[in-house]
Amino acid sequence: MEFRDIQERVHTGLGGSFEVQDEIHDPAIIVPKEQLRAVCGFLRDDESLRMGTLRIITGIDRPAKKDSTESGSIEVVYHLCSYVHGHTVVIKTLLDREAPKVDSVQDIWPTANWHERETYDLLGVEFEGHPDLRRIMLPKDWVGHPLRKDYEPPKEYHGIPTTREAVLQAPRVEKVSPAQHEPKSDEPPERFIQLNMGPHHPATHGVLNFLLETDGEILRRVKPDVGYLHRGMEKLAERISYPGTMPFTDRIDYLGAMFTNHGWAMACEKLFGVEVPRRADFCRVIASELNRLASHLIATGCLPMEVGAFTPFIHWLREREIINDIMEMICGARLTYNYMRIGGVSRDIDQATIDKILGWLDNFEPTIDEFNRLISGNEIFVKRLANMAVIPAEVAVGYSLLGPNLRASGVDWDVRKNEPYSVYGELEFDVVTGQGWRGSIGDSYDRYFCRILEMKESVKIIRQACDLMPEGPIIAPKVPKKPAANEVYARTEGPRGEAGFYVVSDGSDKPYRARYRMGSFTAMSVIEAVTPGLMLADLVALIGSLDTIAPEVDR
Amino acid sequence: MTERTFPVVKDAAVAKDDGSAVLGATLTSCSQPGEPSPLVLTTKLDNLINWFRGNSIWYLLFATACCGIELMQTGGPRTDLDRFGAVFRASPRQSDLLIVAGTITYKMADRVRLLYSQLAEPKYVLAMGSCANCGGLFQGSYSVVPGVDSIVPVDIYLPGCPPRPEALNEAILRLQDKMRGERWFHRIKG
Ligand code: SF4
Repeated sequence: MEFRDIQERVHTGLGGSFEVQDEIHDPAIIVPKEQLRAVCGFLRDDESLRMGTLRIITGIDRPAKKDSTESGSIEVVYHLCSYVHGHTVVIKTLLDREAPKVDSVQDIWPTANWHERETYDLLGVEFEGHPDLRRIMLPKDWVGHPLRKDYEPPKEYHGIPTTREAVLQAPRVEKVSPAQHEPKSDEPPERFIQLNMGPHHPATHGVLNFLLETDGEILRRVKPDVGYLHRGMEKLAERISYPGTMPFTDRIDYLGAMFTNHGWAMACEKLFGVEVPRRADFCRVIASELNRLASHLIATGCLPMEVGAFTPFIHWLREREIINDIMEMICGARLTYNYMRIGGVSRDIDQATIDKILGWLDNFEPTIDEFNRLISGNEIFVKRLANMAVIPAEVAVGYSLLGPNLRASGVDWDVRKNEPYSVYGELEFDVVTGQGWRGSIGDSYDRYFCRILEMKESVKIIRQACDLMPEGPIIAPKVPKKPAANEVYARTEGPRGEAGFYVVSDGSDKPYRARYRMGSFTAMSVIEAVTPGLMLADLVALIGSLDTIAPEVDR
Repeated sequence: MTERTFPVVKDAAVAKDDGSAVLGATLTSCSQPGEPSPLVLTTKLDNLINWFRGNSIWYLLFATACCGIELMQTGGPRTDLDRFGAVFRASPRQSDLLIVAGTITYKMADRVRLLYSQLAEPKYVLAMGSCANCGGLFQGSYSVVPGVDSIVPVDIYLPGCPPRPEALNEAILRLQDKMRGERWFHRIKG
């Protein structure tokens, strides 16, 4: 459905008429906060709308203009989409800046729970009816809400100076005295054991903390505690120009930096109205798919390692070194590529590189089968993963899982196919969905094996793209410095699912607000729902099969 | 028929007046007492200890962000840190070296202190990447510690964003150099 039809449907269904903001790229329906829950419930349940997924919740601070009598406001923006009908809609609600309060929608879309906590943490919006409204990213004794425009950071935190100059002036640290840590839960432990797993734990894929409550070996409750790598990227983007934010997007997802680059570039291109030359699009696709291979190598290599098989990981590290070499030939970096530019790419992919890529692919493709013989069919490995932590399709959609995690649950949704961007529409490849290969659909084995099969699809894509690549320029000739005031949402299909970029511009050369939607954030939030009843050791395998990485969760 | 001879190690360590120690392994044979065999190794006790230590730097697996991937890759087949006896340990109790690979946030800072204090003495810290050195790209952020040297003492600063595996290798070699210069026997004697 187009936006007009959705708007019609909402108006007739709810019998009212809402204001609409349609001068922006993705038009939005403006809903008064009293009616928010009614509208959201309608959007989710109406047969012709079926907005089953909440993409992101964004808070935008709009302080009062100087010499204006009006008080400022805070906008809360909800991006919704429907996998059934393949349409999207944006709804907004305006809150009073002094006491921003709105009803929680976490019972309509479970994924809203964490998004609302994040909005509360960073902007101070209170969600009424939220069961657990605590800070999520920042420490609990933090003061203030950093994404407010008038936020002043503290001079020091727990004895640590907050500027480099102050650190340099201070004498060298000699004595280190850590604070004492107590068990965190307030409830008295009875027959259940409370454990802290993390934030430094070799199996948590980066810095993540889990508060566990176990009954012997059985997990009763698992509470992920995230934010240990919250680097404040969304705030940094507000201080740096549009092109200058590109290297920061590398660090949002360091295993899939091409996709975050691409997403940011696409968002900016929409804003600036720039056309990308065709050759640049092919360069982007080749580099991106190579990057997907590199990322899936880590994901499928780490999982066996975490359940006790070290050798497969070393095999994949060997292959990954070669991808790193190719990436160096393409863009000069091994990990943090910064390859894309607004309107194109930074360097061309020459024939020597293409030859190297194709040569390597010929070697690599049989290696996947070899790898399957080595580990994918291994009895112990299969037993550890099959039927473990099954995520049914409704849960996956409600928690807004993305990428292979979503597809493993049987939902056929791939941004490259369903909303084709760049030149993906011209390339042939299959979307892999979970089949219950060794157990039931949506179990950990499916999530693992989806990734293995996706690698084969990527190989196909790269071969075709190398074949079809036309001659021509690699970057748009002229990119304006400043965009018009607008709001855009761009998405790419990264190795951990959709990388979404919501950018609000106010007409200056810096973004007014940038919001990143990443797959690991929602994957982390589903853990609490699926773990009760699992064994403690299964948690490690579950995290591995979800392939979460900390900077995506925390940004 | 000649008798079978067994080498005997005499005078394993002799403390000298200047505070250093000489370790001499004089191999003698039973049949000819007193007469040294051709195989004689002498070294200073300090050097021996440092040789042991330098070639078995066990580092804590402490990867917080992007640099952690390069750390992993350094342990992988191509650069292979194991060559230098450096292997990763999952527990700080078994490690000598804390490689801070990645950004440290204020929320994480206290845990870094805790991990550092759990390492066994003598301990070293390698700040890997610009983030650990000075906050790097995120120096201006409200939640990032501007350099891990504001919470723990740092021995080696390794620049780069992320540093290449070869650079990390070099840093480990530099740390070995640093270890070689340290004097232990003196301290033990008081
Ligand atoms: S120094 Fe660069 S690569 Fe390393 S953690 Fe920081 S941002 Fe990532």
